[in-house]
Amino acid sequence: MFRSALRSTLSAGFVVAAMATASAQVLEIGADLGPTGLDPHLITAFPSFMVVNGNIYEGLTAIDRDLKIIPSLAESWTISADGKTYTFKLRSGVRFHDGSALEAADVVASVKRLLSKDIASPLASRLSAVESANATDAQTVELKLKEPSAALLSSLATIAIVPRSMETNKDALQKTPVGTGPFKFQEWQPNGYILLTKNEVYWEKGLPKLSGLKFNIVPESATRQVGLTNGQYALLPNIDAATALQLKGKPNVKLAETMDLAYTLVGMNVSKPPFDNPKVREAVNYAINRKEIVEAALFGAGVPGGPLSPALKSWALDVKEFGCYAHDPAKAQALLKEAGVTTPVAVSMKVLPRQDIKDVAQVVQEQLNKVGFKVELINQEQGQFIQDWRNSNFDMFASINAGQPDPDEYFYRTFRTGGSTNVFKYSDAEIDSLLDKARTLSDQAERKTAYDQVQKKLACSGPVAHLTYGTLFSAMNDKLKGYDVMPNRSLMMLRSASY
Amino acid sequence: MTCTGAAFLHAPVLFFFEELALMNRVLLARLIDLVIVLFGVSIIVFLMIRLIPGDAVAIMLGANTEITPERMAELNRRVGLDRPIVEQYVLWAGAALHGDFGTSLWTGRPVATEILMHLWPTLELTFLALVIGAVLAVPVGCHMAQTHGGAADVAMRIGAIAGLTIPSFWLGIVMILLLSAWAPGFASLGYVPFSEDPIGNLQRMLLPSIALALPILANLSRLVRSAMLDALGQDYIRTARAKGLPERRVVYKHALRNALIPFLTSVGIMTGYLLGGAIVVEQVFAIPGLGRLILGAIAERNYPLIQATILVVTAGFVIVNFLVDFLYILVDPRVRA
Repeated sequence: MFRSALRSTLSAGFVVAAMATASAQVLEIGADLGPTGLDPHLITAFPSFMVVNGNIYEGLTAIDRDLKIIPSLAESWTISADGKTYTFKLRSGVRFHDGSALEAADVVASVKRLLSKDIASPLASRLSAVESANATDAQTVELKLKEPSAALLSSLATIAIVPRSMETNKDALQKTPVGTGPFKFQEWQPNGYILLTKNEVYWEKGLPKLSGLKFNIVPESATRQVGLTNGQYALLPNIDAATALQLKGKPNVKLAETMDLAYTLVGMNVSKPPFDNPKVREAVNYAINRKEIVEAALFGAGVPGGPLSPALKSWALDVKEFGCYAHDPAKAQALLKEAGVTTPVAVSMKVLPRQDIKDVAQVVQEQLNKVGFKVELINQEQGQFIQDWRNSNFDMFASINAGQPDPDEYFYRTFRTGGSTNVFKYSDAEIDSLLDKARTLSDQAERKTAYDQVQKKLACSGPVAHLTYGTLFSAMNDKLKGYDVMPNRSLMMLRSASY
Repeated sequence: MTCTGAAFLHAPVLFFFEELALMNRVLLARLIDLVIVLFGVSIIVFLMIRLIPGDAVAIMLGANTEITPERMAELNRRVGLDRPIVEQYVLWAGAALHGDFGTSLWTGRPVATEILMHLWPTLELTFLALVIGAVLAVPVGCHMAQTHGGAADVAMRIGAIAGLTIPSFWLGIVMILLLSAWAPGFASLGYVPFSEDPIGNLQRMLLPSIALALPILANLSRLVRSAMLDALGQDYIRTARAKGLPERRVVYKHALRNALIPFLTSVGIMTGYLLGGAIVVEQVFAIPGLGRLILGAIAERNYPLIQATILVVTAGFVIVNFLVDFLYILVDPRVRA
């Protein structure tokens, strides 16, 4: 009796709650981590990127689901014959959330803000080719480059345009972002939620369809899953295969999937033995069985991959092109013998503290130990891992990196001698000259030829053994329409979603 | 009618003033204790969080962010981490003495605001868990003592051991799963302030309070049981029974009062811990309490936030201990001597 009474009270509460969500149409999102700040020029982490990119802020360009560059705040653009002057025509009728109209001066101020020493933006290197930005009239912006930069249009998709009044303001945008996007900032309860509401004067008529987005910060995976199945959350964006498998087939839940741009990798320090020897690095590649890693650590949801994600269809080479990807322990042993190192080769591998990476590292450890390595896994706390990574304090490390839509954005900083994330201390004259040349080429076929050579060389003797590209999932209530998961993890498609 | 209230009725009026003077002395001594503890803790926390590897800027940037060393130096300067550590401490302590605990490293939000936002859910959880756990522990413990050796006692003791050993994250997840199967749509996750939506608030607090209360109930009821068993064997209990008092009165008035001292000590310590935030339960139920605030602040090396939050938690612990001492005086006349 008591039980049934309690039960009907609970259901009544549910009906009231359901009615409230139906009329409000705020999309309840279950996110694992909260952002550390909302200033689009200061943030680098996924949790922050996910909230601001394409929802609150927009760039001159955008990246669509097929990783193609599409117009956003710039309606169109022209590139001079020498590739050093880009002229952007801005979309008219765009307003910032504070009511001011978007003009060329705002774009110029945003570029200057990003490059200023005082703001200290970690994204500044994405515009390192830019020499100057000028407004030729209220709707036209001209970017002059020091040298041609083939990746510029792709990079600009991640450079948010902020109001010119913010050019020298260091703090305001971290707490209260002001953009042009389909949703505007409403409230941020740290560790609780971030609430965005509909931008009523968004430039694309009829959008957004939702009246708001609520990012609920729910650290525990099991809790997010229950929240989705019981209807409290309508979307779990960018989840891994393990979570997706558990949600598969649950009532009212549907899954969307795409090939991830992010990749798992094992990095090797080439500034000291044994990985200073290219033969040892090649041996690592022969020893690794990537298919087994996909099965054991990614639950089969993924593919073996080379230096570029298979999602980059116009760039990535098929892994069959890489000889060392044919799992061959005997060949690996022979290479170690050739390299003249004494086996077992004792090395340590530092592991990023994420369950999927710990799983990957264990599989790799076993595979390497079979051919004559003696790998010691070192599980580290996040801060310690990052510090050791930055200081090149490792023999090997296992990690996962976000990929970029343009090859130059990844290769140049990672494998060019002295590159800003070349923590491996890798230096190869041939790679350097190919990378230098490729970023100035404007012809797609010529660039592809150059990057094909780069991929072939890096795949087997580079400082990184690229392992796998996972399948990226989003799980959602089946009433959610018009949203799809994107390889770069952006949630910009929410602008045309309805619930 | 509790025995505590009865004691006061018999106390002479004069005694009340003596007690006030004693209380003032105790209060003053405790305040001095508090200042010393806070000062010591502030130095230890300040040093400890800076000695653990990984600095705030590198962590904010994450692994694999492209950045030049010059930019990193600029970011360090931006948040004042380029200064020598002693200077950082003096600057921070000076401001803290004026009531300014600084701003959160990256968001620039005042630390005091952040702590206040996270304090309410923690206070509410602490209160509810204690009410459920401690209030139930007394009758359960008394009943176990009265029927000791019997089937009910054995069953309850097994239950208590289970309550102590079941990890609360597991219990939390199981409860969420069961509830979602049994009453789908019952909003059990997250937090809404009581002032905004009282029913929604209590709905969401129900499971986490139970998850926190069960180990408290288990622990305290065992404690009450053994203290009561001890007390029930005493001569004065035999006297009470001999003069024909009902068993209820013997147990709840005469025996319980003597069993209360260890009970209060335990409740005090538990309250202190709960005020520090129940990290695991907060994680599982997605409640923005102090535990998650501290955990997040440590993970991102948000120095000003860590320092202030630990100080608040420490102060809470000391104050709760003081209140417990005060309760001893009320409950047990011998402490006054």
